[in-house]
Amino acid sequence: MEDLKHIVFLMIGILIAFTVVMTMVAYTVLAERRILGFIQGRLGPNRVGPGGALQPFADLLKFILKEDIVPDKSTRFVFFLAPVIATTAALMTIVVYPFGPEIHLPFVNKSVQLVIARFDVALLYVLSITSVGVYGLALAGWSSNNKYSLMGGLRSSAQMISYELALGLGLIGVILQSGTLDLYSIVEQQAGYLGISGWNLFWVQPLGFFIYMIAAIAETNRVPFDLPEAETELVAGFHTEYSAMKFALFFLAEYVNMFTVSMLATTLFLGGWNGPFVHQLPWLGVFYFLGKVVMFLFFYIWLRGTLPRFRFDQLMDFGWKFLVPTAIINIVLTATVQWSGAFDYVGKFLKTQTGWGG
Amino acid sequence: MVALLFILFAGLAVGCAISLVAQRNPLYSAISLIGVFISLACLYVTLAAPFIAAVQVIVYAGAIMVLVVFVIMLLNVEEEERKPLRLRFLVPIGIGLAAVLFAETAFIIFFVQAAPGTPVRNVSDVGLTSSIGSGLFTTYLLPFEVTSILLLMAVVGAMTLARRGGLLPATAGVVPGDQVFSKELLDRSQTGDLSAVATHSTDEAARLLGVVERHGSSDDE
Repeated sequence: MEDLKHIVFLMIGILIAFTVVMTMVAYTVLAERRILGFIQGRLGPNRVGPGGALQPFADLLKFILKEDIVPDKSTRFVFFLAPVIATTAALMTIVVYPFGPEIHLPFVNKSVQLVIARFDVALLYVLSITSVGVYGLALAGWSSNNKYSLMGGLRSSAQMISYELALGLGLIGVILQSGTLDLYSIVEQQAGYLGISGWNLFWVQPLGFFIYMIAAIAETNRVPFDLPEAETELVAGFHTEYSAMKFALFFLAEYVNMFTVSMLATTLFLGGWNGPFVHQLPWLGVFYFLGKVVMFLFFYIWLRGTLPRFRFDQLMDFGWKFLVPTAIINIVLTATVQWSGAFDYVGKFLKTQTGWGG
Repeated sequence: MVALLFILFAGLAVGCAISLVAQRNPLYSAISLIGVFISLACLYVTLAAPFIAAVQVIVYAGAIMVLVVFVIMLLNVEEEERKPLRLRFLVPIGIGLAAVLFAETAFIIFFVQAAPGTPVRNVSDVGLTSSIGSGLFTTYLLPFEVTSILLLMAVVGAMTLARRGGLLPATAGVVPGDQVFSKELLDRSQTGDLSAVATHSTDEAARLLGVVERHGSSDDE
C-alpha cells in the first residue's frame, strides 16, 4: 500500500514536471522565431492569437495532420525507432533536476523536496542518458537510405562523441568541489549570501562553466555547431526524410535537450533554485530556477541569430585540441586548490569577517 | 516489486541476447546488444549498485556501441546470407554445455541458496559512489593504478598502429578544397606505398611525391 502511494505520488510529480517543461519548450520555439525575427529586422509569427501566442498549438495541429511519408527503401523498423529513441532520451533526464527547495504542501500537509528522483548518481545518470541519445540521430541518418541523411547521422555521432568528453571533463571540477553527484546536495551547497555569493560560477569554476556551455551547445546540435543539419551542405541532415509527427519528435527532442542542458547548467553553476529570500518564501525558488533556465534559452537563441556555422575540421580541432586540454587543466587547477585548502580558508574568512560564504 | 522488475529486465536482457545472435543484419545485432547492456544496467540498479549501472550505460551503451554502430554505418555492411551450417558436429557439444550451465544454475538455486550464506555487511552502501571511490583509492589502489597503465599502453598502441608507415606526414595539413593523394593512387607499380601529400591537383601531387607520370593507356584501363 505504501509502495503504491509512493508510485502515485511520483507519477503526479512526473506529470507536473512534464507539463511545465513541455509548455516551456513549446513557447521556446515561438520565442525563438519572434526573437530571430527581431534580430533580422522582421516580425516573425504574430497572427495566431494575441501576438502569436497560440502559434505552438497551430504548429502541433499541422504536424499531426500532415501526411507521414516513409521512404520506399528505408529500413522501416529503425526508421520508426530513431525518433522514439531521440525523444525518450531527451525526456528521461527531467526527473533528476531539483526544481525547488523543500516545500510544505498546503492540502496534503506534507513537506516535499521539489525533485522527482533524488539519488546518489544523478549526474552520472544525466550523462549516461545523454550518451544514449546519440543513437536517435545516428540511426535516423542510417535508416533513411539517403546520402545526406547518412552524412548528417555520421557527423552528429562524431560530434557528440567528441564533445561528450569535454562536457564530462568540464563537470568534474564541480564534482570535485562539492564532493557529491547528487544534484540536490550540489544546489544546497551553493546557498551563500542572499543565495547568490555561493554559486559555483563565481568560485574556481568559471572555466568549467565556459567549457560546459560550449560543449553543451555542440551536444544539442545548435548554431554554431549545427553541422549535422547544415542546410547549405546536407539539405536537412539526419532528418531530411522525416515528415509529419516523426519530424516533430526530432524537433521536440532538440528543444527538450536545450532545456535539460540549460537546467543542468543552472543546477551546477548558477545555484539552481538559490536566490534572494528563498528561505522565507520557498516557492520563489521554482521561479528563480525557471528564470535562470529561460536566460540560458535566450542565450541559445541569441547565438543562433548572430553566429555563423563552424566548418567540420574546425569543429573537431576546437573540441579535441582546445576544449579537452582546457578541461583537464581545469581539473588539475580545481584539485590543487581543493587540496591546498584555500577554499576553506577564504570561506571561513568571509564568514567570520563579513557574514558571507556558504 | 523488485522481483517484478527483475523478471521484466532479465526477460528483456535474454530476449535482446537471443535477437543479437539470431539477427542477420549486423546493425540490428548491434541495437540488440545495446538493449542487453541497458537491461543489465537496470538489473544493477535493482541490486543497489547505481554507480555500476550508470557507468555500464556510459561506457558500453554510450561509447563502445556508438563506435560499433558508426563503423557498421560507414562500411554499409549488408545482410548476411544464410549459409548451410558448417561445423555441424559442434551442435551436440553446444547442447551439452548448455545443459551443464542449466544444471549449475539449478544447483545454485536449490542447494547453495538454501544453505546459510555468509552475511554481507551493509549491502546498501557497497554500490554507492563514495564507497567505490574510497575502495579504489585505499584497498585496491595497486590494481587500480596497474589498470590505468594498461589503458595508457592501449592508447599508445592505437596511436602507433594508426601512424605506422606515415599515412600522412606531420607537415601535410588537410585543408578543405585540397585532396589527399597517396603514392599508391598515382603510380600503380608502387602498390602498398601509402606516403601521401595533400594538394589541389594530381600533377602537383605527382611532383611532390616524385612519381614519374606515364602518359598513355595505363590510366584509361
